[in-house]
Amino acid sequence: MMIRVERKQRKTITALSDSIGVMIIVCIACASIVLLALLLSNDPLKTLKYFFFGSFQSMYYLGNMINSAIPLIFGGLGVSLAMKAGLFNLGGEGQVYAGAFVASILVLVMAPFGIVGAILALLAAIGVSSLLAGISGMLKAAWNTNELITSFLVSNIVLLVVNYLIAGPFKDPNTNLIATRRIPPQFMLPKIMPPSNLSTALYFAIIAVMLVQIFLYRTKSGYELRMYGLNSTFAIYGGISRSRYQIGPMMLSGSLYGLAGALAIYGTYFTSIKEFSSGMGWNAIAVALIARFRPMAIIPAALFFAYIESGARNAMLHSDVTYEISSIVQAVVFLFVTSTVLQKGSIRTRRNL
Amino acid sequence: MMQTLGPILNSAVVIMTPLLLAATGGLFTELSGMLNIALEGLMLIGAFGAIVFTHYSGSMFIGILAGILCSMLLASLIATVSLYLKANVFITGLAANLLVSGLTVVLSFKLFGNKGVVSFVNIPQLPLLHLRWIEKIPVIGNLLMGHNGFVYFSWLLLLLCNFVLYRTPFGLRLQASGLHDQVLVSLGLRPAHYRFIAFLVSGFTCALSGAQLTLNLGAYVPNITAGKGWIALVVIFLGQKRPFGLLVAACIFGLADAFSNFAQGSWDIPADFILAIPYILTLVAIIGVSIYTKRKSRIG
Repeated sequence: MMIRVERKQRKTITALSDSIGVMIIVCIACASIVLLALLLSNDPLKTLKYFFFGSFQSMYYLGNMINSAIPLIFGGLGVSLAMKAGLFNLGGEGQVYAGAFVASILVLVMAPFGIVGAILALLAAIGVSSLLAGISGMLKAAWNTNELITSFLVSNIVLLVVNYLIAGPFKDPNTNLIATRRIPPQFMLPKIMPPSNLSTALYFAIIAVMLVQIFLYRTKSGYELRMYGLNSTFAIYGGISRSRYQIGPMMLSGSLYGLAGALAIYGTYFTSIKEFSSGMGWNAIAVALIARFRPMAIIPAALFFAYIESGARNAMLHSDVTYEISSIVQAVVFLFVTSTVLQKGSIRTRRNL
Repeated sequence: MMQTLGPILNSAVVIMTPLLLAATGGLFTELSGMLNIALEGLMLIGAFGAIVFTHYSGSMFIGILAGILCSMLLASLIATVSLYLKANVFITGLAANLLVSGLTVVLSFKLFGNKGVVSFVNIPQLPLLHLRWIEKIPVIGNLLMGHNGFVYFSWLLLLLCNFVLYRTPFGLRLQASGLHDQVLVSLGLRPAHYRFIAFLVSGFTCALSGAQLTLNLGAYVPNITAGKGWIALVVIFLGQKRPFGLLVAACIFGLADAFSNFAQGSWDIPADFILAIPYILTLVAIIGVSIYTKRKSRIG
């Protein structure tokens, strides 16, 4: 009985100190927004007003903000899944982009097969992205190549190749955009908060969070995966296959990224525009880091990042700053988010990283 | 044959210089035990700072100094956060790269009202060194002469780096902090200090490397470094983490790049694929190194 109470207390303390760390980072982010507005804008108050409150001025802005959190939720889950197995998937950018591209092309090819075709296209997109991430897992399993670096490099190559494909062989000749052809209207996900872009993809995101949570904490594989991440030597000693938990989590992680890309096409963009997903992969990593790789915490973290992004967009539309200020703020978050000193008092140290 | 080879060799030397400079600084961080992937960002901010301050001050010297200052400031920020606030150095490096790519766009928009290429008319041409008696030597003369000051400075810096790393207590301690930092701790020294200085050195050389890119062109092109910071990392790995190894590796990349420029002009290769070359090479190099280390550990 005593032990249980103590454990509960310790849990509360950890949760508290974790949230203090998160609060510090949120404060740093807000401070950098204020600083940027003061330095760059001729009317800082107006800029700040649109940055902080612009997302709540109407259902349209609110819906779009929630909508831009969806890929971050999928991506954040992907990063967390790999991280729970002690692997770092830095290739999100390329995996999202590739997933989106494959989905948008294949759905055109598969259109005659109706809904089955759309699902097949979705599965193919997931497959391609999971293979791209899987490469890094396989390299790790074969030669212990650092998956952090390889996933990043593979993703950079993929970005350029997809750029070429979108601008070259697969470009839609009927539009001035550098984009592929639009997907047929019957495959577009229904909107749930008109006039905003928010679509039923949100439900998929929430289901994905629950599934990942159940997988990690309620299944045998999830348990083995976490054990491998916490102490791989111990896990191998316990009879767990090394290559399985180096390749599997990377592939799962990639498939979540692919899903992010494909659903962004079905729900929001309807066509692969050149570099449309730029930043999604990075932001998803930051989201996962802020959430400390806990699936349930990913939703608020993703909303926070979407809030910064849509704030920057509103400030750009209504004031005199450029959209790139959001990447500065996000970089600042990135810079401090893995700092263990800022999360001091945290009983858990860098166990997860 | 000589007609095409001469210009290719000459441009190879110019192309390898930014790589060599960035790799020289990166060697310090690498030997101190930190994977410094911020070379790219450090170069970019140095490139931007150098040309912008040259434009406003009218003096190239002040411009380069200011570029160095910008880059070293960023380097000290990364170092502080990674070493003293104990953040993951890979993530802080990425953050720095992201930060610079955003910051340069925002600043270029604020200062020049333009997010794209900014060309400066008042930037003087970089002076080129010509010594008649060396130029008369065939092939070598062509290779050694007719370059800007950055090229010669990069060679000088390499010699200096070799001396500092292998002949001074500082250099040896720096290497110790990478090999086994507990040794330094047992001597009452702090590895973090050496790593901090290593970051500053990398900021310094990366700024020079970036400054050469923009000042040579007389314009600022967004993302002008285009993956060169990453190649500099490969140069370090390929060069076996030794100063003169860097020279050889940078030479290979310089030649490859000069040739691919030539190839792009002659054959029709999509620009995206050319841009992918640095990453493909890095990937191959990293895989190669990991296979090599795995084999070695198996034998040993």
